[in-house]
Amino acid sequence: MQSKDGFSVIKILAAGTAAFAMISLAIMPDAMAAAGEPGHGHGNSSGGHMKMDGGQHGGGHHGNMGSIGEPGKAAEVTRTITVMMKDNFYEPETISVKSGETIRFKVINKGEALHEFGLGTASMHKAHQKEMAVMMEHGMIEVDRINHDRMKMDHGGGHSMKHDDPNSILLEPGKSGEIIWKFTQKTKLEFACNIPGHYESGMMGPVNFK
Amino acid sequence: MKTSILRAVRTAALSSLMVLAITSTSAFAGTYNLEIGEGTINVSGEDQTALTINGKVPGPVLRFKEGENLTINVTNKLDEDTSIHWHGLILPYQQDGVPGISFPGIKAGTTFTYNFPAQQSGTYWYHSHSGLQEQAGVYGSIIIDSKKREPFRYHKEYVVVLSDWHPTDSPQDILSNLKKSSDYYNYQQRTAGTFFDDVKKMGLGAAVSDRMDWGDMRMLPSDIADVGGYVFLMNGKNPKQNWTELFKPGERIRLRFVNASAMTYFDVRIPGLKMTVVQADGNNVRPVPVDEFRIAVAETYDVIVRPTENKAYTIFAETMARTGHARGTLAPEMGMAAKVPGPRPKQLLTMADMGGHGGMDHGSMKMDHGSMKMDQGKMDHSAMKMDHGKMDHGSMNMAKGSHVMADGSVMKGGAHKGMNHSGQGPKAKKADPFYAAGSGLMPKAANGGKFLSYADLKAFRPLYKLRKADREIVVRLTGNMERYIWTINDTKFSDAEPIKLRYGERVRFKFVNDTMMTHPMHLHGMWQILDNGSGKYNPAKHTLSISPGTTVNADIEADAEGQWAFHCHLMYHMASGMFRKVVVERKVAEVAR
Amino acid sequence: MKKSTLTLSSVALAALLLLPGQSPRAAGLDDTIYTFLQVEQLEHRMTDGTDVSAWDVNAWIGNDDHRLAFKSEGEKPAGEELEAAELQFLYRRPVSEFFDINVGIRHDLRPNPNRTYGVIGFQGLAKQYVEMDADLFISETGDVSFRFEAEKDFLLTQKLILQPLLEMNVAFSEDTEIASGAGVNDLELGLRLRYEIKRKFAPYVGLHWEKKFGATAKFAREEEEETDNLYFLAGVSFWF
Repeated sequence: MQSKDGFSVIKILAAGTAAFAMISLAIMPDAMAAAGEPGHGHGNSSGGHMKMDGGQHGGGHHGNMGSIGEPGKAAEVTRTITVMMKDNFYEPETISVKSGETIRFKVINKGEALHEFGLGTASMHKAHQKEMAVMMEHGMIEVDRINHDRMKMDHGGGHSMKHDDPNSILLEPGKSGEIIWKFTQKTKLEFACNIPGHYESGMMGPVNFK
Repeated sequence: MKTSILRAVRTAALSSLMVLAITSTSAFAGTYNLEIGEGTINVSGEDQTALTINGKVPGPVLRFKEGENLTINVTNKLDEDTSIHWHGLILPYQQDGVPGISFPGIKAGTTFTYNFPAQQSGTYWYHSHSGLQEQAGVYGSIIIDSKKREPFRYHKEYVVVLSDWHPTDSPQDILSNLKKSSDYYNYQQRTAGTFFDDVKKMGLGAAVSDRMDWGDMRMLPSDIADVGGYVFLMNGKNPKQNWTELFKPGERIRLRFVNASAMTYFDVRIPGLKMTVVQADGNNVRPVPVDEFRIAVAETYDVIVRPTENKAYTIFAETMARTGHARGTLAPEMGMAAKVPGPRPKQLLTMADMGGHGGMDHGSMKMDHGSMKMDQGKMDHSAMKMDHGKMDHGSMNMAKGSHVMADGSVMKGGAHKGMNHSGQGPKAKKADPFYAAGSGLMPKAANGGKFLSYADLKAFRPLYKLRKADREIVVRLTGNMERYIWTINDTKFSDAEPIKLRYGERVRFKFVNDTMMTHPMHLHGMWQILDNGSGKYNPAKHTLSISPGTTVNADIEADAEGQWAFHCHLMYHMASGMFRKVVVERKVAEVAR
Repeated sequence: MKKSTLTLSSVALAALLLLPGQSPRAAGLDDTIYTFLQVEQLEHRMTDGTDVSAWDVNAWIGNDDHRLAFKSEGEKPAGEELEAAELQFLYRRPVSEFFDINVGIRHDLRPNPNRTYGVIGFQGLAKQYVEMDADLFISETGDVSFRFEAEKDFLLTQKLILQPLLEMNVAFSEDTEIASGAGVNDLELGLRLRYEIKRKFAPYVGLHWEKKFGATAKFAREEEEETDNLYFLAGVSFWF
């Protein structure tokens, strides 16, 4: 590249990066809110027929925006906590964190059924339970597996209801995965499985701030 | 020197290992004592004589450990024979407690000792199997603690025994009255008054023809419960006496519901509190959050509730026939009570409950042994199909993309799925496929929410490997309401041959309900694996309620040798003929001649 | 037929049928023997002429398959002798879902001379909840007669019940001695309104109309009796 072209390239690159940064900053709050409320953050778009756009389900949730924490960066992980998911309970039964900590949760499904590990407030979990009930009704999740085809299915309106929030992980029996989460401030949080009946059976526990 | 130390260490290690081995293999053994005698009950304003177990109604909660070797001494302090049957327990048939089938019964003034190991865990119950004693108060609950960790956790647990008590008529009088006038207890009959209401609602022509239709069949659409006038009890207390137990807000409470009544189905709900069903008939099921569930006579359901508010909740068990209710309270402190809901409108059977049997002509009151040819060869009803006759099977094809209730494998055209589910979205309420479409008994949650259906029950861990049944036996539930004779395949118990099963086979019982009543069918000693389309997760139940005009299939693994009772658990139906002996025997090789 | 023979044969019949060991298996709970006694009518009928007291009683003992039944009805005019008194001893068994067959003996103590008849009949619940009873009587004199009864309960409320009733007697030959002509003998229509204080006890009021026809009417007129009577009545009905 000749220097003249090089300059333009750099200019373009700079402009592009700036633009990207601005756009990211703009959509970041939405993404955070979406991530913060598993209630409606299924993928980028809220499942059409559920009308799960941020605005509608926002309400009280937006008030908590950011308070439950944010997706953490791998480089900042201070601790790894291994969470076993069994039928229908977690090991350990409680989790202790420090405000500001970034924790890697290594989640392993040692049960025979599908399980979820999600971080959020009790009311967030309650809302998510309703959604997971619908997912079960529609055959997107079954007792012991995820029906990936149905998950990707277009439910009208060009949206799909995928389960891929940063604060929760849905695992089939035998599989494992991880969540890296930064606990930015002390809040009343629970970790829970919101598959129908699991939370009610006791598959939940408190996140205690030390 | 070293060798002796080593030897000592080795001996010590070996002996401690032995001790460990011995203590872990020698199962816990417990002895329990029950005394059946006359006592008092006061639930209708005055002291009345009841038959009691250890002086109480219900009898004591028996708590066993899974694996425990049980010794239960039952002493008979009555003037007549008695017995105790362990409802839902797997045990050697001689310990099952049915006079004339398991043993001769317990004579007056004697003690019989039951000995058997507790081979399972969960909530069960026990009751007399002699005469009509169960109605008079001889019933109680059983809790068997699991060896393994249960798939649910809770902070407190309470047994909730539901039952019915008649304040004026003895059980013998009740049956006698029904024999002489089958509508004796029906005070919800159609009158001139209801006729005028009907005319207003549907016009003169329709009202008249509706009366004529029922008149032709000589049946009453209000005939949902045979016996009226009961007081309904929750743990032996009437609604005013208000059985109450405590919780701390935020705690999970396990409620072990047992329907120990003689004749009553209850629709159970706790206004303001969702219940998660975790166990049915003692077996763990995948947890189902519901607002209301119907518990048939002899069934058990374990639910987890988690009251979070600092207030009282009413446990409301309204009878299916809307004739009354049992009631209790869960509260943070004693003395608190919550609002008790009012009664819902009376239900009426519809023509759908007749299963298209208008003019059912049973004709054969004769003892026709011809119709008893049940184990002749294989009745090839193509066990893959589930014959629902009168049910609406919109979506029988389990094609991909059809909205099917999540189930494990796609087994038989698991037809209890997606019945009225036109895939419209979450709001479409599915009618319970275990009731005839349009049934007057179709369960509806009082708050418009979720009502438990048999279709929701999926075994947590299947008890048996899934395999195809070797043959099918048709079990028609039949009866003559006018004469108050209830039968299986049109034959009374005393006129019938036993049902013979070969040890090791898997038989499909095809229940066809030709009557307009719900019948809770109970098989002793073996599980009935209900086919609700869940494939290997089909739930195992000891009591299966068959709704009017429907057909239900259940597989039985005949792995318990001996003779077993099999009957409708509506006590007066059982007493009037709806009963069979099931014999499970190893077929001896034929000697060549 | 002598009364003693009558009683003896009934008892023998009863013993035969109710003997345990007759059925191949031990009698179970579903073979329990019940007893039933019902005073369906016990009433006083009032009219311009002579008032009449009347009764209609029936009873049975047995299980689902075999029953021995007893029926009795009769009338006694006020201040006079018993006018009609009939006793039936029957063996009853079910023949269809809703109907039973009755076979037995009927003996009339009144009118004089006494008559004994063989009885064969059917009773049960017809469609629309109409209770029906149809009997054929064969007199010791060889005369054959037929009786048909039908009644139905109309519920005005759960406890207030209106019951229309019809009874018709037809004789196929004349039996002058008891003033029975050939053809339709008489027709009775009743309308009773009962109040079930308890299921087993109900007082009632009502109307009763009877009319004699043909030769029977002629016999009645010869005796200076009414052939056409309407009564207002009150009575009590109970069972256990």
